[in-house]
Amino acid sequence: MSGLMDKVEFRAALENAIKGKSANKAPFSIAWASGKLSRAHLARWAENHYHYVGPFADYLGYIYARMPERYTEAKDFLLANMYEEEIGGDRHTDLLIRFAEACGTTRARVTDPDNMSATTRGLQSWCYSVAMREDPIVAVAALVVGLESQVPSIYRRQTPTLREKYKFTDSEVEFFDLHIVSDEIHGERGYQIVLEHADTVDLQQRCLKICEIGAQMRLLYTTALYWDYVAKELPMSELESVERKVPTEERQLLQA
Amino acid sequence: MPKVVIQRDGQSHEGEVAENANLVVMAGIKRFPFPHLRYGCGMGKCAKCACRVLKGAEHLPPPNWKEQERLGPKLEEGYRLICQLWINNDIELFQDTNPIKPLLAPAAPARSGAVD
Repeated sequence: MSGLMDKVEFRAALENAIKGKSANKAPFSIAWASGKLSRAHLARWAENHYHYVGPFADYLGYIYARMPERYTEAKDFLLANMYEEEIGGDRHTDLLIRFAEACGTTRARVTDPDNMSATTRGLQSWCYSVAMREDPIVAVAALVVGLESQVPSIYRRQTPTLREKYKFTDSEVEFFDLHIVSDEIHGERGYQIVLEHADTVDLQQRCLKICEIGAQMRLLYTTALYWDYVAKELPMSELESVERKVPTEERQLLQA
Repeated sequence: MPKVVIQRDGQSHEGEVAENANLVVMAGIKRFPFPHLRYGCGMGKCAKCACRVLKGAEHLPPPNWKEQERLGPKLEEGYRLICQLWINNDIELFQDTNPIKPLLAPAAPARSGAVD
């Protein structure tokens, strides 16, 4: 096993672990970035995504309760993050539902858990499991550093795609817009907590491992979206022809 | 690196930020301009971060739809929503002691302000 890394080395290792090994091959992401999805496909994405990100404050609530009292700053950050997800401005899930409605589905369909796939249920369960059972610093690494911190760079690239290729209005894609700022704060604070408190070799290695697993879970989720909802109308052969034209960064949509 | 000057409560605070920095993000992670910039929702709704741009406005992009919706005629007075701006050039800002009220209130209750 490697020795204890300093903060610069550890941060670089975390960033590397988050990237995953093959996330840029997710077919749903390639289809999204190339403008080939229909609004019905995007509606199915929203109906699933709600059940992954909707309970984010719940995940954090479990971590908050188990975070040692002496880590005051970390606890305050988790509380602020929960507040901002829910009542800091517009409720984030309400903005996701607004996007979903623009795609042709309804609030009732989005909030109905029967409309998520088994794989999405698996991702949600993994998030709950990590929040409830892992060391709280490892859980922050998984959910805040591994998942939430990835959102800004992805959505910054994808919001113009939604406007220009899919012709959504500014208001309809606000869900993607707001994450650019708020998740950047959350992700960076998450890094600060993990860099500060993962102060043993064992904890550092567990943080790295769970970021790798998070990358695998994201890929599993996104790949399932393609096979469950898109593959019949948009076969892989059609996607392979556009894959080379899609910038690498854009293929990572929905990996966070 | 862009130089940022923030005037508030009769004091002037000066620092440098990386190119393409968002000042609300920087304040949120407790780097300059923390604790001198007041902000709230970070999503262009509550207008707590609104500042009047004293210098450097010519380098900023035109106000986006959220700024137009929230600030309206205040835009003519030089106000901008700082959470909506990514800074690439020197800028000087003035933040009122009391936050301005947005034309359109956020749907959920506004945060009292992380660094009021």
